[in-house]
Amino acid sequence: MSDLLADDPEWADVVPISQYENVNPIAPIFYSEECPYAPNKDATDYFRAVVKTGEMSPRVLKLTETIIQMNPAHYTAWQHRYKTLIALRSDLEEELRLMDDIAKQFMKTYQVWHHRRLLLTAINSVDVAALELEFLRDVLEVDTKNYHTWSYRQWILAHFNNEARLWARERAYAEALLDADVRNNSAWHHRFFVVFASGVRLGDEDREQVRKRELAYVKEQIAVAPNNASAWNYLRGVLETTKTPFEELTSFVEPYTASQRPAPSEEVVDLDNPLPTEKAELPCVAALEFMADAYEKRGGDAVPKAVEIWKLLANEKDTMRKNGPRMNELNNTK
Amino acid sequence: MGLTLDIPLHVKYIQSLGENKDDLVYHLTAHLRMNAIYWGLTALCVMKQKDALNRDEMIEFVMSCWDDEAGAFGAHPDHDAHLLSTLSAIQVLTMQDALERVDIPRVVKYILSLQQSSGVFAGDAYGEVDTRFLCCAVLALSLLGRLHELDVEKTVGYIRRCRNFDGGFGAREGAESHAAQVFVCVAALAVLDRLDEIDQDSLGWWLAERQLPNGGLNGRPEKLEDVCYSFWVLSAMSILNKIPWINAKKLTAFILSAQDLEHGGIADRPGDQPDVFHTNFGVAGLSLLGYPGLDDLDPVYCMPASLIESKGLRKGWTALPRRELA
Repeated sequence: MSDLLADDPEWADVVPISQYENVNPIAPIFYSEECPYAPNKDATDYFRAVVKTGEMSPRVLKLTETIIQMNPAHYTAWQHRYKTLIALRSDLEEELRLMDDIAKQFMKTYQVWHHRRLLLTAINSVDVAALELEFLRDVLEVDTKNYHTWSYRQWILAHFNNEARLWARERAYAEALLDADVRNNSAWHHRFFVVFASGVRLGDEDREQVRKRELAYVKEQIAVAPNNASAWNYLRGVLETTKTPFEELTSFVEPYTASQRPAPSEEVVDLDNPLPTEKAELPCVAALEFMADAYEKRGGDAVPKAVEIWKLLANEKDTMRKNGPRMNELNNTK
Repeated sequence: MGLTLDIPLHVKYIQSLGENKDDLVYHLTAHLRMNAIYWGLTALCVMKQKDALNRDEMIEFVMSCWDDEAGAFGAHPDHDAHLLSTLSAIQVLTMQDALERVDIPRVVKYILSLQQSSGVFAGDAYGEVDTRFLCCAVLALSLLGRLHELDVEKTVGYIRRCRNFDGGFGAREGAESHAAQVFVCVAALAVLDRLDEIDQDSLGWWLAERQLPNGGLNGRPEKLEDVCYSFWVLSAMSILNKIPWINAKKLTAFILSAQDLEHGGIADRPGDQPDVFHTNFGVAGLSLLGYPGLDDLDPVYCMPASLIESKGLRKGWTALPRRELA
């Protein structure tokens, strides 16, 4: 039994349009029944016909679904599907559910996410947005760094902008992801987005308290895994946004520039400045960079200390980037 | 003694694309055919083999993708117009010296109609927004000689809002920094003479940190290397005059190791299947790194440098000096 529309009585009234009908083919194509993409060709030929006639009907919905399943990046098929949904006044929440599996299957395709964004915009419901955020948690479980999914999540939050229903659990969510993988750059970005880059969260009105909390958090994560670029980028981001001087962090950072942890006998517990944990690989390159920047900012006779660190980085600890921005200063002090 | 770039093999690979039109993959990639032609042609130009593909056939194909309803180009005949394919079409026609075939006023109208009130551009009437499309619009208008019709402040304003705490840029306001999005924002700012919007040292350093111990470049911290970042990262650094900040020798070796020396083409990383996208960006990266025997590439437009210069569009970027052939 053929799955082809050409054999489907429901489509008997439609004349399919072949790919090169209006174009002089560079090379004529002969499709055999054994051709591996006969179903796809069949579907797209019928699709071309309905686009031409402008048909928007339930069978067109079925057809676009077929095409999308075979080729999720077929942007014209998505467009026509959306137009048809609107024209038919279809249940858009049902459409979201229908597209859930496609989203999970083809999560690296731009179109699946844009379609959902259009649906959310049309439905315009905070309840649905909340459900969508839940759905995205499932998706992110499969691919914790999926760029499309994350930027779509950020759009939902900003667009609906509902503190109690949508924003409230986001910091905790980012934190849970970082608990699972402290090197998840997307989760770090999301945390910054939620805390510092999208207005003031309910409960975060005391900005000094937020500053302390975020600095404490990132220090803890650095202590657990110092060689984590995302955490150091986050730290620098917090310092810049809160106008905290580098100097305030030097007591914390300094132990990370040593080759090993201080001996247990020398260790003084300082809750504000967690030391590197047992497993940490030291010295930490990012810590060295930080100290060097701090010395440079201090100026005066701290500058030679910065130069010493830059030499160490260039010659030994980060030779990949030895021709970096410090090269001029290094050359000048030779 | 290391690998070298097998130019004749890659030229044959590009020529062979599209030969097997019965192939399922060929059919399923119709939505990016225009882009693929641009990638193929650019790679050939950089390898100094522009005539390896038939000029007339290519121009006719490009024109067959004209969407007369929208006044712009789609990816394939009967595909709706889109900014991505419109830029690729303009780039191809420019490289083929056939820009006179384009109805410029209509295309300009199409492009400008896609700018939203926030300053970002949609990719098409469907409304997906992304800084990629903003870049496509800026590059396309520039190549068409109609940049003066753009609201520069509005456009730059949106890019500014995409700047993140790490100095990088994302696809939209609020989105994570990503090397490809960094490129599109930097290239657009370069064309608009607004590189002052960038903290160049910070961003240059973030880009330099994309280099992994294996020499390859990734797109964000803790992600895998991919040959295409050899272009996105490298071109941004070239525009910021900071290519020396990465290890050229190791990156060159990485790109060369991603070649498919049996069938031709370059893959995203060693051992994977090649495709024309990675072939183009691998060769483009090598050109910016001064690899011998290649032609100079303009990193802003990802097109031959001499062509861009002849149109008076060259900006103040620097690539590594071209090494002599052994």
